[in-house]
Amino acid sequence: MKKQLLKEIIEKKEKKIEFAIITDLQNGESCIFEKNKPIDRNFEKYKDKIDLHFSNKKDGIIEGTNIFVETYIRPIKVIIVGAVHIAQYLVNFAKSLNFEISIIDPRGYFATEKRFPNIKIINKWPKEAFEDIETNQNSALIALTHDPKIDDPALQHAIKKNFFYIGALGSKKTHENRCKRLKEAGFKDEEIKRIFGPIGIKLGGRSAPEIALSIIAQLVAEAYKK
Amino acid sequence: MKNSFDEKILEEAQDWLSAKRNVILATVTQTWGSSPRPVGSRMIVNDKGDFSGSVSGGCVETAVVRECLSLLKDKKAHKKIEFKVSNESAWEIGLACGGEIAIFLEQIN
Repeated sequence: MKKQLLKEIIEKKEKKIEFAIITDLQNGESCIFEKNKPIDRNFEKYKDKIDLHFSNKKDGIIEGTNIFVETYIRPIKVIIVGAVHIAQYLVNFAKSLNFEISIIDPRGYFATEKRFPNIKIINKWPKEAFEDIETNQNSALIALTHDPKIDDPALQHAIKKNFFYIGALGSKKTHENRCKRLKEAGFKDEEIKRIFGPIGIKLGGRSAPEIALSIIAQLVAEAYKK
Repeated sequence: MKNSFDEKILEEAQDWLSAKRNVILATVTQTWGSSPRPVGSRMIVNDKGDFSGSVSGGCVETAVVRECLSLLKDKKAHKKIEFKVSNESAWEIGLACGGEIAIFLEQIN
């Protein structure tokens, strides 16, 4: 692999562009493949097969050839609402999983650079904050404030934008009340049921890092169901 | 498919290159049976013999490092290697899990 290619691959990863790395295992030549872009002429005759691997998000050698395809899809964006204690541990887990993280909290006292170094912090109410973040079905929401003023608008946005994971902290009772409010706001039962509440898988732990672990475990499990 | 759970091996390779090291990239290209890591798994090795990432669960990494160093020594650009099931001897290089893997080694130049 050429140094220049490695540089381009890292740039594409950072820009969250979907692409594949194509390598000819016979001669060691490699290039980047992007859908609807012209392909390197060394690989032209395999274009249709590469296209197929790419659409199927399949890594491997194209049958009957020496061409190895490795696909990269867009990374997951995790939006945490509430710059609370649990969020500090969540950030650490999410970082090692390469998730792109943003924290929304209108309470400036919580959401500080000092508490969350090198993390995108948005000191706004969710409604305004979501104007600054592009979200889609690759996004996940972790609502941690258990304050309806802050959590509810974020949950509503996540349901509307069809986030693949939506979780909200709070007891069973808190969650029941939350569901009632969403219903009153016009959301359907099946939409409200998409929210994991109380959030996280059952680990038994109650400390902030244990809760963070249980949330991240649930989020990853859901990512593989997509 | 690589999604955001991908490790940052390529980024680390870049750092090693900036530190003026020669770097070999090892990628799992094929697996048969119950191999420990999927196709696309990566590890990097430099001319000092440092390595990062993995292509198995620790079964064949030392052999991969050795192969990478000999690739550098022989000034070859790339090479394909395969590992099969190991026998009883625990220290022999092979996959105790009973799987087989093919790995592509390439110099980043």
